[in-house]
Amino acid sequence: MPNLPSKKEIFLTGLWKDNPVLRQVLGICSTLAVTNLMVNTFVMDAGLIFTVCMSSLTVSLLRKYTPMRIRMMVQTLIIASYVIIVDIIIKAHLPDISEALGPYVALIITNCIIMGRCEAFARNNTPLASFLDGLGMSLGYSLVLIVIAFIREPLGFGTLLGIWQTLLSLTMESAASRSTGKKNWLSKEEILCCSA
Amino acid sequence: MKKQLRSVVYMFLISLFFVSLVSAVKHLNEKKIASNQALKLQWIILKVLDIESEKNTSDDQISRLFTERVKDIRVGDRILYAGYEEDGHTILGYAFPVGGPGFWGPIQGMVGVNPDATKVLGIAFYKHTETPGLGGRITEDWFSGQFNGLRLFPIEGDQKIFYLKPAGTTGAPNELDAITGATNTSSAVEAFLNDELDYFLKELWTSVEERE
Repeated sequence: MPNLPSKKEIFLTGLWKDNPVLRQVLGICSTLAVTNLMVNTFVMDAGLIFTVCMSSLTVSLLRKYTPMRIRMMVQTLIIASYVIIVDIIIKAHLPDISEALGPYVALIITNCIIMGRCEAFARNNTPLASFLDGLGMSLGYSLVLIVIAFIREPLGFGTLLGIWQTLLSLTMESAASRSTGKKNWLSKEEILCCSA
Repeated sequence: MKKQLRSVVYMFLISLFFVSLVSAVKHLNEKKIASNQALKLQWIILKVLDIESEKNTSDDQISRLFTERVKDIRVGDRILYAGYEEDGHTILGYAFPVGGPGFWGPIQGMVGVNPDATKVLGIAFYKHTETPGLGGRITEDWFSGQFNGLRLFPIEGDQKIFYLKPAGTTGAPNELDAITGATNTSSAVEAFLNDELDYFLKELWTSVEERE
């Protein structure tokens, strides 16, 4: 009997050792797309955590019945269903954020992490282990995104979850006025607009 | 053969299950989504008519203000919303929907003008699929706010009502800041909004003249 990893190990692997973004290089598109604002990042993270966990769980529950040759089709169907559910719920209860995220929610379907985990883990493991693996992986993904958004939002918009606006815009303004030429990546007006 | 049949039946059943699940969730939330959208539209109309622009206005307040101060009328083949002053019969301005192709998909917006249609009261975009953080910034107040007070006049030839130019290079009052990093969205907005304004204002001017 091979030495099976404990539940705790399965969960922790996704967080750091096999972090989907940093180690497996999965889900890179959305990592760059939704990290412009912390709020967008949080909602994307919540959507992804739900989808990865539920898809892994479902794929694992069906693993003994799904014919090998059509397993990818079944996985796509499962993932797409959960994503559409997330999309509908965000539209109904968080209309503002649904607008901010635009097409990105529907694009969770194509996030490689979800299918990657279904293929690599869920279809060979028990439902509980698969769920924990999904949770670890999606939290690992969320962690990286939050760190990136934490750097990108102040740089791009001069805000951080809407807090510290004045302080940041002041430092940025002086930085912008020091740089010369028309190639300023942030114009003064823009910074003032952001802080207004 | 038996194996293949099993795959087909399995796929059919599992599709049936998940499609039913999604339909059920959609059905349960349909009303809420529709009312969100209706409320959003009312809010946008109030905003472009400059009746209410406070961000924290409650949903009840929005629908109350809307029923009290806005009436919809038909001009040509489109809907026009007439906004009234607090007294309930002096016309404050008109709002009308505009729309056109953006960079990724259609953009829909609302324009508010003063009673003789010579000045913009406000413009807002409420439906689009532009890139969040880039073209999607058309919904932000700094962008749509630039249109407030824009002078409207009948245009001839290649003239445009307004131009979107790179930030920092604008001079004339009808030159507004485009969105940095969203050149395609900016030029799409410039193109369709000029056309729509031209088209709709001509109808509005004719109807204003007829009334006089």
